[in-house]
Amino acid sequence: MVDDDRLKALFAYDEPPPRDPAFSSAVMAEVMRRRFMVDVALLSGVSALGGTALWALWPSLQPALVTISQGLAPAIVAGALAMGAVALLGGRQASALLGLES
Amino acid sequence: MSPAGLDEALVAAAQAGSTDAFSRLVERHQQAVRAFLRRACGDWAQADDLAQETFLAAWSRIGRLKAGASVRAWLCGIGYNKHLTARRSGVRDRIRDESYEADRETACGPHAADKMALEAAMGELPEEQRACVALCLAADFSHSEAADALGLPLGTVKSHVTRGRARLLQALGGPDGR
Repeated sequence: MVDDDRLKALFAYDEPPPRDPAFSSAVMAEVMRRRFMVDVALLSGVSALGGTALWALWPSLQPALVTISQGLAPAIVAGALAMGAVALLGGRQASALLGLES
Repeated sequence: MSPAGLDEALVAAAQAGSTDAFSRLVERHQQAVRAFLRRACGDWAQADDLAQETFLAAWSRIGRLKAGASVRAWLCGIGYNKHLTARRSGVRDRIRDESYEADRETACGPHAADKMALEAAMGELPEEQRACVALCLAADFSHSEAADALGLPLGTVKSHVTRGRARLLQALGGPDGR
């Protein structure tokens, strides 16, 4: 066992530090980079698929969308006006709360 | 929590997609993997490159790791395969002795000669034997854990360790391990 201890002591020269933030950071940076690339590839694929499907279906979708949009136009305008009013009133209240208005 | 229990929890979290958990696994096992690869390939810079590739491969394969399996043996197994692939492909064809001299800190002190003799003897061991010695004698792997990591039969690992130990001790001028 003395021989084994001797070998172990000599092998200990090769031992990296128990904690090496530089190494761990390099690994994790590469992991995140690859994950990002996978996400980008996935999103690109989904977008391309969606675009192709829309292009293929557009001739049949277009008449339906025109009809729907004509029917919904008043409701959309009313909704947009309501949202604009809320945003304006909320903005003024916020200004008052912040003391920007006298 | 025991180290094995903590590993298991971290693996489960990493399998669920947690990069934080995987980062902790890297921190916990980088020393073992890098030390093994340094001893297996003898080139510190290449060993660190291979260790990085090992962890990247581990991240993409973490879903395949079975519950309760030894993480360090699994990682060393991936690292060993990376090392063998690199050697076969010749992409990282560097001369071992040259890189030993260039990359590592020069061993000094009373054991410098022994260390150099050990390095030379390790370099002369056959690939599998060197890997078995690196795991079982230098890193306290059990024979069965090393067999799992290297994908070798248990008897072969035992025999490699015994022969490798004898050759190393012989090179160090001591008894041959019998």
